[in-house]
Amino acid sequence: MAAEAISRALRDGALEGEHAPALTIKDSIHAPLGAFVFDHILAQLSSNISSSKSQAQGIVLVAFARSPQFYAELLKSKANDAASLKKWLRIVDCYTDPLGWKIQLAESGIVSNRSTQNATTASLCKNVRDLDMLFSSIVELGKEVIRETKGRFAVAIDSVSEILRHASISSAASLLSNLRSHDQVACLFWLFHSDLHEMKASSALEYISSMVACVEPISNTANGKGMNSENVPLIEQNLGRGKFSVRFKRRNGRIRLMSEELHTEQMGINFVPAFEGHVTSQSLVPKVQFNLQLSEKERNDRAKVVLPFEHQGDGKPIQIYDGRRSVSESKTENKETNAEKMHVNEDSGRGEIIYIRDSDDEMPDSDEDPDDDLISDSTIFFLTVGILELLTN
Amino acid sequence: MAANKPRTSSFSRNVGVVPTSQVPGLKHGPNGTVFLSSGIADLDKILGGGFCLGSLVIIMEDPDAPHHMLLLRNFMSQGLVHKQPLFYASPAKEPRGFLGTLPNPVSLKDDKSREHDTEQEKTLRIAWQYKKYFEDQNLDSQKDGKVEYCSDFDLRRPLDRHALSGQCIDCVSLQDCPNLATLYDRCSTFLAQIPRFDGNITLAGRISIQSFSAPQCHFSDKEWDMLSFIRSLKSLVRSSNAVAAMTFPPSLVSPTVLKRWQHLADTLLSVRAVPDEDKDLAKLLTGYQDMLGLLNVHKVARINTQVPVILEATTYSMKLHKRRSLVLECLNQAPVDGSSGTSHATSGSCSVSSKTGALDF
Repeated sequence: MAAEAISRALRDGALEGEHAPALTIKDSIHAPLGAFVFDHILAQLSSNISSSKSQAQGIVLVAFARSPQFYAELLKSKANDAASLKKWLRIVDCYTDPLGWKIQLAESGIVSNRSTQNATTASLCKNVRDLDMLFSSIVELGKEVIRETKGRFAVAIDSVSEILRHASISSAASLLSNLRSHDQVACLFWLFHSDLHEMKASSALEYISSMVACVEPISNTANGKGMNSENVPLIEQNLGRGKFSVRFKRRNGRIRLMSEELHTEQMGINFVPAFEGHVTSQSLVPKVQFNLQLSEKERNDRAKVVLPFEHQGDGKPIQIYDGRRSVSESKTENKETNAEKMHVNEDSGRGEIIYIRDSDDEMPDSDEDPDDDLISDSTIFFLTVGILELLTN
Repeated sequence: MAANKPRTSSFSRNVGVVPTSQVPGLKHGPNGTVFLSSGIADLDKILGGGFCLGSLVIIMEDPDAPHHMLLLRNFMSQGLVHKQPLFYASPAKEPRGFLGTLPNPVSLKDDKSREHDTEQEKTLRIAWQYKKYFEDQNLDSQKDGKVEYCSDFDLRRPLDRHALSGQCIDCVSLQDCPNLATLYDRCSTFLAQIPRFDGNITLAGRISIQSFSAPQCHFSDKEWDMLSFIRSLKSLVRSSNAVAAMTFPPSLVSPTVLKRWQHLADTLLSVRAVPDEDKDLAKLLTGYQDMLGLLNVHKVARINTQVPVILEATTYSMKLHKRRSLVLECLNQAPVDGSSGTSHATSGSCSVSSKTGALDF
């Protein structure tokens, strides 16, 4: 799913007046499968180009880490023949002689110049430190593959980590962003090993790109401690499988996160949808202070609250301490719902409220209870007795 | 009540005479400050009137989303509508191209919908009787036909040609600046045309610097140089009638420098992206579908006073009203089972707890 979404985005290319979509493929030593992902995406884009489904009409591949022959072989094996490759593929060869040493040695006569014939059109780059020259050679080669004036080409950079060996992050970033904003570039993607560089370089590259694909080990405990010689099975496992998570920066300004597993196989890699972990976005919004749910403890406490009713529903008679010494009269007093007489009951532990009414000797609430004229004690007594008689009969 | 008594607290500067502002686009604020609009009406309200002249506004970007561009676009367009000189710097090779994306104010014929609203308000007058205590400046200015302090911008339509031509717009590409001294010189030449005197203000200017520490710029690794540039820019802006708005990606600078950067700002805002099709967020927030992103207000400029601003809410959601203008809304959040266990209500509850504290009432 994620890999297909990437291929679709690269195939669709750039809209008018917009920067080209740019993909960063990031991996590390714990899951060194980035190169496989790069090859897979390159192959997918090539098949889209050769069948004219994509906006890009050709690819300019900047090869640092692997030789141009490797890529020619790779693409030929994916059902492309050499003749058609020549039409839409151009390679900038930064692999053979990146710093121009072989040329220097050949010129000084020490080493005889043995030039190898390559099947593909590879333009040799002799000085990878000069990123302006690299930019212009990419653009020149790109112009060769496009058929019409409004056409566009794709750019793939084998390894930006190699560029960063020779150049500063700001010049690499400016190369990439100039490529992105060039109106003949349809899309671009590059590989990057995150553990070879500072965090700053990594975040700078993520800032420039519109899609970031990370290859991570399946089990996150494989950090440092796990990666020693005793943990060979784990290392072997991480060489064959990895977690592939992609972050898309969409046009509407939102981020889309996708994640799946990847497995290496004989003929490349395979993507398998994985169970997506629960991503909590509660860190984005401020915490709201009120809480409508009850925790377990709160539920238990609520069940223990003594309510000011005649009985608590559990069959036992309850005696509510109402502030007077004479507890024997409590039966007739239970109907009183006057809040002043309710207190914390016998479970209160160390703290207690002792309430002594000033008017202790008076008849309880003879003059205070406004409901007295509505109903009198004796009536209740007779009613209760009457109900009891009915029940026993 | 429209007329306010001037504050005579000892923490605020006393300004003897408060002149009426005849210059369009400027408004007098408390403590002798002058405001100009940010281009977004809701943001002006949150900040207490707008951006203060002489202040430095810093917007922290989210590397995943271009929302800071929306804020900058409104800011720059508002300046052009009020014919204020503009200085724009960005890491792109062709910064002038950005001017083509600036929005146009909503035209008068769209105001029919607004008249309809005011009529509806008349029928609700009995319930909303406290409205007369609020300041209704915007409505007044519309009826007069004067230029509004803050225009409503239609983000779908580009700015008219006549607003762009004949204006003092200075564009600089940050990639062309080999070092920060050249950029500083350009800024000071621009600000020299809008100096500050004690008399009436006739002209105000805007400086807008986009993605200041973007990795393409050659000075992006020289963090201390960037900090001292910002300090110098702030002092330049203080002594002139201008507002400088700068955006930068905070993930690209080291944490200590980031703290210093944040402290240098007079007004500090940050924008954040929201994930797409996130079911959790959709449950948490109402209106998630229309949300573009989130805006946080970290600091509000207070010039000539020591009284701080305490905002009711600091996080707002950015939405498009009728798909054309940017509005900021407070978040409507569902209650979250946030801090588990330690809810603030248990201390005063009437539940009987098995263990009692020392002070148990």
